[in-house]
Amino acid sequence: MASSREALAPRSNPTLNTVQQILASLAAHNHADEVLTCVRQIPAREATFCPMPDWVRPELREAYEAKGIAQLYSHQAATAELVHGGKNAVVVTPTASGKTLCYNLPVLNQVLENPDTRSLYLFPTKALAQDQLAELHDLAHRLDDRFGVYTYDGDTPSDARRAIRERGHIVLTNPDMLHTGILPHHTKWMRLFENLRYIVIDELHTYRGVFGSHLANVLRRLQRIALFYGSDPQFICCTATIANPGELASQLTERRIEVVQENGAPSGEKLFVFYNPPMIDRNLGIRRSYVKEATRLANELLARKLQTIVFANSRLQTEVILTYLQHRNQPKPGQMEPIRGYRGGYLPRERREIEHGLREGRIRGVVTTSALELGIDIGSLDACVMAGYAGSIASTWQRAGRAGRRSGTSCAVFVASSAPLDQFIVQHPDYFFGSSPEHGHIQPDNLEILVNHLKCAAFELPLSPDEKFGGVDLPDLCERLAEAGFLHKSGENWHWVEESYPADTISLRSVTSDNFIIIDITGGDSGKPEVIGEVDFTSALTTVHEKAIYIHQGQQYHVEGLDFDHRKAYVKRVNVDYYTDAIRYTQVRVLEIEEELASPGPAAHAHGDVLVRSQVVGFKKIKFFTNENIGAGKLELPENEMHTTSFWVTLNHELLQSLPFSLSDRQSGIFGLLHALASVATLLLMCDRGDLGTAIGERMAGTGSEAEWQEFSASAMEKEFFEPNLYVYDAYPGGIGFSEPLFRAYDTLLTQTRELIEACPCENGCPSCVGPAGENSERTKEAALAILAKLCSSQLPVGGNSNEQ
Amino acid sequence: MSSNPADVSRSGFDRFSRLKALQPRTHLPKPEPKEEFIEPQLSPERSSGAGLLTELLKATVSCNQHGEHLSVITSFGGYAPRTPDSSALHLLLPNAPSEVGDPSQWLFLDTETTGLSGGTGTYPFLVGLAWWEGGGLKVEQLFMREHSEERSMLARVAEHLTKRPVLVTFNGKSFDWPLLETRFRMTRTIAPPPLRAHLDFLHPARNLWRLRLGSVKLSHLERHVLDWDRGEDLLSSEIPRIYLDFVRSGIAEPLLPVFHHNQMDMRGLAGLADRILSILSDEKGMIEDGMELYGLSRICERRGQSERARKIYEQSIGTVLPKETDRAARAALARLAKRDGDFERARELWESLLGNSREGYEAYEQLAIYYEHEVRNFEQALAITREALAQLRRAHKVGMIAASSFRRNKLNFEHRRSRLEGKAERPPDLFSQ
Repeated sequence: MASSREALAPRSNPTLNTVQQILASLAAHNHADEVLTCVRQIPAREATFCPMPDWVRPELREAYEAKGIAQLYSHQAATAELVHGGKNAVVVTPTASGKTLCYNLPVLNQVLENPDTRSLYLFPTKALAQDQLAELHDLAHRLDDRFGVYTYDGDTPSDARRAIRERGHIVLTNPDMLHTGILPHHTKWMRLFENLRYIVIDELHTYRGVFGSHLANVLRRLQRIALFYGSDPQFICCTATIANPGELASQLTERRIEVVQENGAPSGEKLFVFYNPPMIDRNLGIRRSYVKEATRLANELLARKLQTIVFANSRLQTEVILTYLQHRNQPKPGQMEPIRGYRGGYLPRERREIEHGLREGRIRGVVTTSALELGIDIGSLDACVMAGYAGSIASTWQRAGRAGRRSGTSCAVFVASSAPLDQFIVQHPDYFFGSSPEHGHIQPDNLEILVNHLKCAAFELPLSPDEKFGGVDLPDLCERLAEAGFLHKSGENWHWVEESYPADTISLRSVTSDNFIIIDITGGDSGKPEVIGEVDFTSALTTVHEKAIYIHQGQQYHVEGLDFDHRKAYVKRVNVDYYTDAIRYTQVRVLEIEEELASPGPAAHAHGDVLVRSQVVGFKKIKFFTNENIGAGKLELPENEMHTTSFWVTLNHELLQSLPFSLSDRQSGIFGLLHALASVATLLLMCDRGDLGTAIGERMAGTGSEAEWQEFSASAMEKEFFEPNLYVYDAYPGGIGFSEPLFRAYDTLLTQTRELIEACPCENGCPSCVGPAGENSERTKEAALAILAKLCSSQLPVGGNSNEQ
Repeated sequence: MSSNPADVSRSGFDRFSRLKALQPRTHLPKPEPKEEFIEPQLSPERSSGAGLLTELLKATVSCNQHGEHLSVITSFGGYAPRTPDSSALHLLLPNAPSEVGDPSQWLFLDTETTGLSGGTGTYPFLVGLAWWEGGGLKVEQLFMREHSEERSMLARVAEHLTKRPVLVTFNGKSFDWPLLETRFRMTRTIAPPPLRAHLDFLHPARNLWRLRLGSVKLSHLERHVLDWDRGEDLLSSEIPRIYLDFVRSGIAEPLLPVFHHNQMDMRGLAGLADRILSILSDEKGMIEDGMELYGLSRICERRGQSERARKIYEQSIGTVLPKETDRAARAALARLAKRDGDFERARELWESLLGNSREGYEAYEQLAIYYEHEVRNFEQALAITREALAQLRRAHKVGMIAASSFRRNKLNFEHRRSRLEGKAERPPDLFSQ
């Protein structure tokens, strides 16, 4: 079913042979079919070339020719033509397809035509901007330094800033710096804004969810300021493969944007392998450690002289894998370490050295986090091992693309963890290899986010009543902000009347800036307390309540105290064999139904505005590995209310009645189903599990009436719901745009949830499918599947009789 | 802990109630929030508020093509401008154009703003301008009652600066002037007037008085350097809030001390400029205060007038200086003497400095260098290096030295010691013994 092994043609190809040897040795274990769920050979692809366009100036043409580029790949030519023709463009580019040329060519050509031309390049991280700098400096050098290229970020020395503002034809920066450092000081950047011709947004697909919704608003502010200085910049965007590049790009930029999707770059043959570590306890659904398995694989590849990159999902894992691989691959006397680590926190110089070593082949292996996933040039390696799913198909392809010779074969191995997403992907290779179902979603009109940026906008330039800012009624909102004392209307316009600098308190990476800081006080009175991290308000209540075990970079900490008013948690380092799980009661009340549809089951699904009230009332201590409950505690924490958007499924009474299960089995089935639904939802939405909240509640007769709030009852789990609503809500105040897409994807969501649960080899449920088994019922999995069977039946809900099994 | 979800629903889910609902809400007892600003008043009171202000300040409404703003004119008699001599001006502003020497071209400026963090959302709501006229100082304060009056106010500033193109400020180089430039740019129509020169007195004041007074706030300098008393005054940090309250409420009275504060700052600035110029032009040795002498010599040194700097440093160590200043002056003097090749004087100074202090370790090092390279007496150089290390160890033992400074110095002297040990073992010159 899930396995899709294809016969490998015997060929004389060193990489292929090597990988085959390794696969054969893996297959020698008798559960080969279960372990190697997919071995797919992706054939090599020829390049599609186009000539350099006529309008490219001779000196630029020469500069590229000197770099060995005399003609363009078709997607480069198509993008450059669109931009040259004055259009906005988004180009879909896999790794190593020469995407920078897509924007550099038209931008530089224009700079050479008119030296006043200014451009702004946005990269999601500082490191990526640094990486692009080298390429642009090389071109500038070849063109007699006729234009200036600079990065502008938090590390830019203040004495260099003035020169950059005046002389930077191309300024490379990131959204955070644009938001706090450039826009609020736009008068200093007059030269740039008056002549702003192009805005390049690289790695567009990273701007989704909260970050993307913020960026859309930052771009609204940017375009407002450009307009003030009389310029009307064009947008050039690049993205990894996602299902809706055009939609995401036009939502972000609020412009009509052309999509270039055909990729003309060549690629070598690639072998893609899905590896699911063998089961060691079928009952509990426990598999062999995927980190160890990935390490073992990497070691085999390295031993066969293949230059290998290993991706892990946390810093701790990279360190574990690195230590092991370095131990097994010692440097020869007088030579450099052949295996290196690479992640955030390494110094720039060290990073450059590693990148260089990789390109030259002196470094044989590198272990990294997502830091090397995006654009940084490390040449092409032979093999890629991914320990755990990267979180999205787009990221997985980017990681896999790190291995890929133009000629010859490369290989990529995905080693699945036991997380639901990993298990779904590893058992559904067709889902992965099919056309990308992943959409980037944003909600630029999330009120909380928009209002924050509106404050920044007012600080930057007084707001005029004729302006447009997103889809809101601007004058009305300004009135409200004036009432709250932020704005003041003078003449026609609203002016900022606060002492503070609004951008400083708004982080683009979260919705509210209300965070708890975590302070390590292990040293006691003699040691210096050290801030080790931050958690946002909502997760703070469940992760750093008193007596919680907080895990930070693999280290356990015991929370000694939570200072709620000052938003501080004090922790001490410990080493214990359990973790804590907060017991949280959540109630969801529907405020407004946006859309509701009846569906088979009988059931209904809907999306709309909800009010989520939750309270953490206690916690459980759970032993590692065995998942035994070894203790509990009560907590008195404040209730938390959040207004957000939600998607939900209502199970009609008839559906529940028709199930041949006891009440408690039925209840567990419903909770199990919700667990699996939320897992699959994160897959469809390209988001983190923490971006979604789940809750079960009773379907209400109407909306909005207060009487329907019951006091929190300690027995929410056991309560029988007459007609339950299964909520999957956006875990951010105001909602971040996930609910409507989920509503639209209802059928896919159900089908895939069913596949996830059915394919899971555990007996009664495990964390990979319906959640840990055994707590309340032995038949959770069975019950969840029975409900799904009803929901997926093609029978239309015509009321009444639907009780055949 | 009862909660009241009703306050969300009652207001009918309009946008703003929803916005409020988005705030993380807690039901823990919380301290009452402080009243942040006075409740907005109805509009009739507001207009009378601004009217009252005009009356209280004896202000006039000033009009131009860009609109109107308030203008308050005050005169301070009895202060005559002193024509600064060229050496003083040179210390202040090397390569100054000739207009700088003519005080009638000067325009003193100090702004009061809606915030201190800068950026395009910070407005200068009150611009104080002053110039010498008719045997005294004339002050004109421009005030915007509303944001919409900013343009006409800026146009007036530009007009003044065209007439008197030498700008004189206290911290205006990094604050007031960039802020005004931003404001001019924001108008898109009124160009920032070109300045012939910009004299800013913050840095010289810092050099002259920071060591003595700790703070170099204008009001502070006024009291302690000029011995003037400006009476009751408010804190600068309160000013933005007062103005913003006025904008929102229209209540005028709290603004009066702001105008007074600004007038006093203008007067103080003019007085201080005069005082600093007179100190800088002091050739005859009229200054007696050692700290001022020390500050002056630092300014001279920085401007490359090392001869004058040496002279004044010598003078300053002849006065009673606090220990740290005395050490700093001696160390600076030693550096200058060394540069002039006057090793005798330098050696004397270094020897007087030896000990556990920054200058002390510098002196050990300098002496070791001196003996090694000038005298070529390696034993002596080595002995001094060892003494420095012993001093370091003692200081470290009793915790009288910062760990980083200990490490740095220790490494430095150990390195020097091992090098000197190598050199001292063999005769430096085959023929010298």
